[in-house]
Amino acid sequence: MGEKWVLMKTAQTPTNIAVIKYWGKRDESLILPVNDSISVTLDPAHLCTTTTVAVSPAFQQDRMWLNGKEISLSGGRYQKCLREIRKRACEVEDKEKGIKIEKKDWEKLHLHIASYNNFPTAAGLASSAAGFACLVFALAKLMNVKEDDSQLSAIARQGSGSACRSLFGGFVKWIMGKEDDGSDSLAVQLVDEKHWDDLFIVIAVVSSRQKETSSTSGMRESVETSLLLQHRAKEVVPKRILRMEEAIKNRDFASFAQLTCADSNQFHAVCLDTCPPIFYMNDTSHRQALFYIFLFPLGVAYTFDAGPNAVLIARNRKAAAQLLQRLLFYFPPKSDIDLDSYVIGDKSILQDAGVEGVKDVEALSPPPEIKENAAAQKYPGDVSYFICTRPGRGPVLLSHENLALLHPQTGLPK
Amino acid sequence: MGEKWVLMKTAQAPTNMSVIKYWGKRDESLILPLNDSISITFDPAHLCTTTTVAVSPAFQQDRMWLNGKEMSLSGGRYQNCLREIRRRASEVEDKEKGIKIEKKDWEKLHLHIASYNNFPTAAGLASSAAGFACLVFALAKLMNVKEDDSQLSAIARQASGSACRSLLGGFVKWIMGKEDDGSDSFAVQLVDEKHWDDLFIVIAVVSSRQKETSSSSEMRESVETSLLLQHRAKEVVPKRTLQMEEAIKNRDFTSFAQLTCADSNQFHAICLDTYPPIFYMNDTSHRQLLF
Repeated sequence: MGEKWVLMKTAQTPTNIAVIKYWGKRDESLILPVNDSISVTLDPAHLCTTTTVAVSPAFQQDRMWLNGKEISLSGGRYQKCLREIRKRACEVEDKEKGIKIEKKDWEKLHLHIASYNNFPTAAGLASSAAGFACLVFALAKLMNVKEDDSQLSAIARQGSGSACRSLFGGFVKWIMGKEDDGSDSLAVQLVDEKHWDDLFIVIAVVSSRQKETSSTSGMRESVETSLLLQHRAKEVVPKRILRMEEAIKNRDFASFAQLTCADSNQFHAVCLDTCPPIFYMNDTSHRQALFYIFLFPLGVAYTFDAGPNAVLIARNRKAAAQLLQRLLFYFPPKSDIDLDSYVIGDKSILQDAGVEGVKDVEALSPPPEIKENAAAQKYPGDVSYFICTRPGRGPVLLSHENLALLHPQTGLPK
Repeated sequence: MGEKWVLMKTAQAPTNMSVIKYWGKRDESLILPLNDSISITFDPAHLCTTTTVAVSPAFQQDRMWLNGKEMSLSGGRYQNCLREIRRRASEVEDKEKGIKIEKKDWEKLHLHIASYNNFPTAAGLASSAAGFACLVFALAKLMNVKEDDSQLSAIARQASGSACRSLLGGFVKWIMGKEDDGSDSFAVQLVDEKHWDDLFIVIAVVSSRQKETSSSSEMRESVETSLLLQHRAKEVVPKRTLQMEEAIKNRDFTSFAQLTCADSNQFHAICLDTYPPIFYMNDTSHRQLLF
C-alpha cells in the first residue's frame, strides 16, 4: 500500500518503593502474589521512565529500544503485555492526519517502542516496574484502550509484578486477588500524592560489587524453600496491610515507620530463610540500618529492597534536613566527588540542611547523639550517591513532540 | 576449730554447637526454651573448660577465678547453680584424710572455684556453656550428688541454657519440657560420640570488629518483636527435631546437612526479623556460606 503514516504517543511513569513487600508468587506465569503489598510512588521529576510507542503500516515487525539499545521483545513478559493490550485496542481516528485504524487492524500492525530511564538501571531502583508500567500506559493511550488504570495495572502486572503499582501516584496497594485467572489481582490508589506531601525520601545508592540474585528467581526459591514465608503471607502481612492503610490514612508517621522497618526486616529475614540463603543487605546496609534506628525519634523510617540500596522516608522537611546532615556526616563523598553529583534529585533540601558544597560537608559537626569524647566513625565511599525525592504522581502523557523518543516520520530512535 | 583441710575435685567439660538452634525463652528466670534443640559435643581435647572446686572450713566465702582472674559469684546464674547443687549435696567421707562432711554441713561451708578455658573467650565459642556445665559437674562430684547427668543438666540449664547440653557427649537433645517449674526441661544423649565418629569439624574463627552483644538480651528482643519466631518454635522446629534425630540415628549425612544449614539460616532470619534487627553474620560469613 505504501502508507507511511506514523502515529505515536509518549508517556512518562514513576517508579515506586514497597513499604509492605511483595515477595513470592502463587502463580509464576500470571504473576500473582502470595500477599498484598503497599508502595509509595516516587516523584517522576527525579526518577522516571519515558516511553514513546509508535504504530505504522511501514513497520515490518515489533521493535524496542531501551536506553538507546535495541532489545528483544520475544520474552514472555513483553509478549504478554503486547497481547493483552492489543486484545483491548479500539478504533483510533486522527482526522488531521487522515488516519483511521479499525479495531481489527491492530492485530496486523507493528509497533516501535523506545524507552528511557533517567536513572541508572544498575542502581537497582526498580527500573522494570517503571518500564512495564510505562509501556502498558503508553500503548493503552495509543490504542485507545478503554480500561481504567486499575485494569491496566492488571496487564502491567503480567510484565512485572511491582509495575502494577506504578500506574498510580501517592500510596498504592496491589491487591493479591483470589481468582486463579488473576482478574482480581490489580493495583488501587489508597491516597494521592498530595495526601501526605510532607514526606521526604532519600535513597542511598550503594555500590554493589556482587552480582545480585534476580528477584524473580530469588522469590521463587523463597516460596519453594522458606518455611517462614507462608506464615508471613497468611498471618503477618494481612494484619500489617490493614494497619498500614490506617497509618497512611491518618498520616500517623510513628506507626508508618514501625511497620515499614518491620516489613523490610522481615522480607530480608525470609530471604535468609531461603535455600540457598539470599543476602541482599551487606555490611554497609547493616551498618546503615542500625544507624537509622537511632534516627527514629527524628521521624525517619527505612526500607531496603532486593539490593543494598537504602530508602529513607522522613516525616517532614525538618526531619529530612536533619537526616541529610547525618547522612553526609557519616557517609561523606570521596575526595574527588563534588556535592552536585553526590546529592541529586530534589536538591532544595540541601539548603535546609545548610550544606551548599563539599566544604560544608567537611564542616558538619558530629550529631548531638554522639557522646562528647566518642570518635565518630565515618564511611566515605560506602554510598555512591543520594537521590532526594518526594511522593509523586502517576503516569502522564507527554504531548510535546520534542519529548518523543522516536522520530515522527521514521519511527526510529532519535 | 582451726580445721584446715581442703577437699577438691577437678573436672573437664566440653563445649557444644547446636545444629537445631535454641533461640528464645518461655521463662527468663528458669531458662526454659521455646523449642527443643539438638547439639553436637566437641572433643574436649581441643576445646574444653577445666574446673577445680574446693571446699574447706578455712574458706571465708565462696570465691571464683576464671582464667586466672577473680570474678564475682553474686550474679543470679551462679547463685542458682550453687543453691541447686548444695540442696542435693550428700554426705562425703574421705577416710584417708579423716574428713567427714555431713549433709547438713554443706550449707555452712564455702567453696573456692577456679576455671580455665583452653580457647579464647572473645572468640564467641560458647565458653559459658562449657563453663557452667563444668561447674555443675565438678560440684556434683565434690558434694556427692546422686543425680544423673540429665538431672544435673537441668541445674546447668538455669545458669546458661546451652550449658545443659555439655553434660553429655556425642549428639545431645535439650528437651524443652512442658512444666512451668522446668523439672522436665533437661538434656538427654541421643547417641554417643562413637556412633558417628567419621564426622570432622572445622571452625573458622572470624575476627569481629563490632561489639558483641549478649545473646540473652537479644533473644529476648526476638521473642518480644519477631512475628516469625513463634511459628518457628511451634511448627518448624518440632518437625525438624524429629527429622534430625532420624538423620543422626541413621548417619544420613545428606539429611543432616540440609537440616543443619536450614536451621542455621532460619535462626539468622529470626534475628533479622527482630527489632532492632540483629546481624550476626557479616559479609565474610555470607561469602563463606555461598562458597
